[in-house]
Amino acid sequence: MVVVAIPSMGKGGLNDEISPRFGRCPSFTFVELDNNEITAVKTVPNHAANAMGGAGVQATQIVGNNNAEVAIVGFLGPNAANGLNALNIKLFHAPDKRMTVKEVLDLYIEGKLEEMSTSNVASHYGMGGGRGMGGGRGSGGINNP
Amino acid sequence: MSKRKPNIICITGGKGGTGKTLCAVNIAIMFKNEGYKVLLIDGDVENPNTYLLLNGKLENKQEVPFFKPKIVEDKCSKCGICAQNCMSNALLHVKEAFPIPILTVCSGCRLCYKICPEKAIEADSKTIGWIYSTEINGLSLMLGELKPSEARSAAIVDTLLENLEEIIELDPERFEIIILDTAPGAHCDVELLIDIADVAIPITEPTKFGKLDLFRIMELINLLGKDCRAIVNRSSLLGFRDQFLKELKEESIKILGDIPLDSDIVNSYCQGTPIMDKNSGFNKEGAGYQAFTRIFENLKKWLKINYV
Repeated sequence: MVVVAIPSMGKGGLNDEISPRFGRCPSFTFVELDNNEITAVKTVPNHAANAMGGAGVQATQIVGNNNAEVAIVGFLGPNAANGLNALNIKLFHAPDKRMTVKEVLDLYIEGKLEEMSTSNVASHYGMGGGRGMGGGRGSGGINNP
Repeated sequence: MSKRKPNIICITGGKGGTGKTLCAVNIAIMFKNEGYKVLLIDGDVENPNTYLLLNGKLENKQEVPFFKPKIVEDKCSKCGICAQNCMSNALLHVKEAFPIPILTVCSGCRLCYKICPEKAIEADSKTIGWIYSTEINGLSLMLGELKPSEARSAAIVDTLLENLEEIIELDPERFEIIILDTAPGAHCDVELLIDIADVAIPITEPTKFGKLDLFRIMELINLLGKDCRAIVNRSSLLGFRDQFLKELKEESIKILGDIPLDSDIVNSYCQGTPIMDKNSGFNKEGAGYQAFTRIFENLKKWLKINYV
């Protein structure tokens, strides 16, 4: 049995959209898999989404406290990467496009996701709003058709 | 009778590359030429390079330590109080596990160390940079350097200022003139230095960038309530001198002087010999030399007015 954490947009459930951001995603969807069969799904709001700083660390705490051993992430900052590595959580890279939790989970089960170990964006990448923090791309991937 | 305190002059200026270090070094040299005891402090801790302009070497390296929490696992009850109260979210705590410090976000505030009910957090330290102090041809230089990849530059500037305070406290007459050279920008490193100074001299240049950044640094200088006079460097650039000086006047910005483009200045810069150094051998009738001489005269007049 393994619990997979997936940053999501907040609606909850398997049909929710994945969020490309980790530290500042609206929610985490935790999916319990037993022999690749889904046995439980729950959604936990990410209270770190609007944190001034250290959102990646707090979000990592939520992932760890919900016993996740695997996380499927889009953009991952250095602080979150450090934290997730310290907790020995396996990281997989979600495709850079709009998709549902169920769709990305199927790719994971089929072994089609690439494993990653370090951050792929700088600190505050997905903070949004502020120019130069890459908010344009961090959230734009979802908003743009 | 109380001892006389040194005059502290802060050379700053918003924009990068306007000639802050050039002016700081040459003003320091001109005071030294007249027999004043001068200390030059390079507070651009991310790019400290004053010593290059003085053809000197970095000496007397002193480490700048910065707090980092160390979890003593034998004592830690895994309660998580440290992580819950960390304003920077620099402690990663997952239930039934030891908290993990994430040092890249740690502000060094020591709250965790103070509040741990089990006293399981020790105050460890890491080196985030260095302070150097040296003497080059009778000019004292103190310089701060932030370790590449570290973020807390203001802590290095703080250490420079602590050292300065100690120097003044021990012997207020050791130095008569203290010149502070700041980093570009209007951020906290720059603010700390302007704040401790008696007067500020922003260095600008006659470009749109120069003007914008001058206005930004003026805002900070005014906020700190410091008297200031600007120096316009490269004033002959593209023939904008008169127009630029007029624009500054219209904004009620007082001018200490301007420095035209001058090949002697460029040569002195490349050689690492300050143009105003007595032994530099540069043409005393040259435009650059003359400009610095005028600026120095204006500066002395101005300081006298301020320090009667």
